[in-house]
Amino acid sequence: MWRYIFRRVLGSLPTLFALATITFFILRVAPGGPFSDNRRLTPEALAALNRAYHLDESLPQQYFRYLWNLLHFDFGPSVKYRDSTVGELILNSFPVSLEIGLWAMVFSTLIGIVLGIAGALRRNGMIDYGAGAIAMVGLAIPIFVIGPILQITFGLDLHWLPVAGWDGTLATKILPIAVLTLPNIAYVSRLMRGSMIETIRTNYVRTARAKGLGERKTIFKHALKGALLPVVAYLGPATAVTITGSIAIEQIFQIPGIGRYFITAAQDRDYSLVMGVTLFYGTIVVMGNMLSDIARGLIDPKVSYD
Amino acid sequence: MAISYRAALSAVAMTALISSMALFAPTASAEMVLNRNIGTTISSLDPQINFLVYEGWIEEDLYEGLTAYDAAGNIIPGAAEKWDLSADGLTYTFHLRDGLKWSNGDPLVAQDFVNSIIRILDPATASQKNYIFSSTLSVSGAADFMAGKNKDPKSVGVSAPDDKTVVVKLDKPAPYALAYFYSFYCPPLHKPSLDKFGKDWVKPENIVTNGAYKLVENNAQSQAVLVKNPNFHDAANVKVDKVVYKVTEDENTALKLYKSGAIDMTYDVPTDQLDALKKSNPDELHVGPGLSTYYLDFNLKKPPFDNIKLRQALAYAIDRDALVKVIKGGDSVSCSFTIPIPQYPSPKPAECGMSKADRIAAAKKLYAEAGYGPNKKLSLSITVQSKASEKKRGEVIAVMWKQVLGVDAKVNAVDREAWNNTFTAGTWEAYGDDLVGDFVGPEPYLAYMDPRAEAGYNWESKDYEALWDKAMTITDTAERYKVLAQAEQLILDSYYLTPNLTEPNRHLVRKTVKGWADSPGDVVPTRFLSIEQ
Repeated sequence: MWRYIFRRVLGSLPTLFALATITFFILRVAPGGPFSDNRRLTPEALAALNRAYHLDESLPQQYFRYLWNLLHFDFGPSVKYRDSTVGELILNSFPVSLEIGLWAMVFSTLIGIVLGIAGALRRNGMIDYGAGAIAMVGLAIPIFVIGPILQITFGLDLHWLPVAGWDGTLATKILPIAVLTLPNIAYVSRLMRGSMIETIRTNYVRTARAKGLGERKTIFKHALKGALLPVVAYLGPATAVTITGSIAIEQIFQIPGIGRYFITAAQDRDYSLVMGVTLFYGTIVVMGNMLSDIARGLIDPKVSYD
Repeated sequence: MAISYRAALSAVAMTALISSMALFAPTASAEMVLNRNIGTTISSLDPQINFLVYEGWIEEDLYEGLTAYDAAGNIIPGAAEKWDLSADGLTYTFHLRDGLKWSNGDPLVAQDFVNSIIRILDPATASQKNYIFSSTLSVSGAADFMAGKNKDPKSVGVSAPDDKTVVVKLDKPAPYALAYFYSFYCPPLHKPSLDKFGKDWVKPENIVTNGAYKLVENNAQSQAVLVKNPNFHDAANVKVDKVVYKVTEDENTALKLYKSGAIDMTYDVPTDQLDALKKSNPDELHVGPGLSTYYLDFNLKKPPFDNIKLRQALAYAIDRDALVKVIKGGDSVSCSFTIPIPQYPSPKPAECGMSKADRIAAAKKLYAEAGYGPNKKLSLSITVQSKASEKKRGEVIAVMWKQVLGVDAKVNAVDREAWNNTFTAGTWEAYGDDLVGDFVGPEPYLAYMDPRAEAGYNWESKDYEALWDKAMTITDTAERYKVLAQAEQLILDSYYLTPNLTEPNRHLVRKTVKGWADSPGDVVPTRFLSIEQ
């Protein structure tokens, strides 16, 4: 198993290198630069700033300078957030997104699996349609509609929860986690339902039933394991996406997470910060995929990693 | 009359209970906390580096420059109690108050201001405010120092001949210069902390300030917390003990926080809620003049926009009143390029005095004289920023041009950086432009329009340059404004731009907050505010 993990990690390095290179050059193609916003800068003032950030060097020179720093785990200075390094920005904001994201994934997975199984077992019944309806609502209505509705209902009308903000207390976590949970329930429950329906028809489940194991044991001990495979495959990358934050949730509920940097850094042409969060995101996705594959290996007896 | 034993016991018990409750009653002198609001995550509180507006609000509470602003936006003495200007208008001498101290007790001296200006200019600092002292105010030696040509800080024309005197020498007179010596541009520098802590010198545990407040917490994406600085020279008059600047990146979230009571004022108001709020919170809604002006440029380097008759036709065809009605931000019509300024005789372009019918007729006539009509149609692109109000402005203007002249205009909305880049690259035909002035006065706007300052407008006018240079030698404000108005008239008469509207500052402020004034500069220092208990 450890040899497998080591091989995967090693294999991910070329991917990350390609990611860094492509992102670096695409950023430079976008019109404007980190100082474009400040039209008051005289040409001399702008030249002084570009020199300070090595933006006056040739592109290959800048690229190799960046790679060299990267090897020393130095992501470089952010042009906008001058009081912190890019590393500090990521390290300070990621734990918040991680917390919200993980809880959202846990809840959406549990609820989704339950809804999916219920739907599969009582096909076309009330539970199935009900579960499907909930799933569609969570999927179709955008976060920036559900979020403010919940804010107004629970914050302004009922006064049960704070409207926005993050101070580490449970009350400030409830709404963002709830909103982030909803879309994922749809995916997990539909995947689970479809996969469960197929698994119930397989030979080994028929054998289990024929052996007289009883419906409960058949479903929850034998069928579930096999039916979980597509869900597990989905969960790896989905978790990676969810724990790296959502700018919509972060701006609506004013959560100090990492999601906003993906958008705002690109808008600001803050080259170092964009590269930093992109590489960070790439690493998380690679890890997510790897964990998914390892989990599959543990569940599926047909797969083994040596 | 005999009182029963039981009654007596209950009386004693009740008295004891009530008096013990009094012990736990809140004392009359509670801490006064004001919850304010800003609209972006805090990018940097380094006073020589930050150049953004909302962080500037926080810095106005943390630092005090040589001059300061009162709540209404008038310049008042800051760390300097008085100042003189030399006869040739080139040398400012600031005299500091007695007994100034930093928040940690260190004496505040004139050299602290000199060090600050040097740090802003120093290429190693990479401050985006570097142009203020090298170009907006041409401090002698500053341009070379900023460019790295001269590495000696003593070559820059700022000095502290003694602990209480700051001398600033300019190469060119700038009668408006006082506006650039408040905390946003000229905060003092506490060199010992910078030397000791380096990049961490503005963290709450290290920061040393000289303003009404000091920083105790900075969660850049959530809030900054400031408490009273007892070493501030006017601390006795500062009533608010603690200020919390809550961050909200979305004005709708700010509105909800205001409604839930979490904040006492908002940094802005969602424009689609203005009408509703005028009815529900009329005393708390503040919509007042701001410093932003929005105008439309024509590219003089791209024919046919080098034809003044065509530019005039396009300018005349815009119905400013209708435009302002569609953009629901509370904006005001603008006929002048500059914002409305007290004492300034704003010039107006010819079409502003005309009736709608006359204006449209004149537009059609000019369009024909430029060679266009039903047989020869003009088509062009309007480059605008991708924010909603700017897209609207572009689209409404395109519709007006279509209705009045039959022009085919396409709106090209791009993100802010690309929008700025397009201007600099010159790849635009019509451009939805805006300018935010540094202070309430015509100078920031007209300085930027000097052909020597911004080449991107492709406008040449030796007359304008002569009028500007002449105005800079006039220290009497009213006289200077007369000359500047003549310069602005040249801009309007050339029609290389046509002013559309000015944007107001919008806030919700609770009635219990006293001392608030609607200042166009939009800086209301907390030291002038208090909360009615």
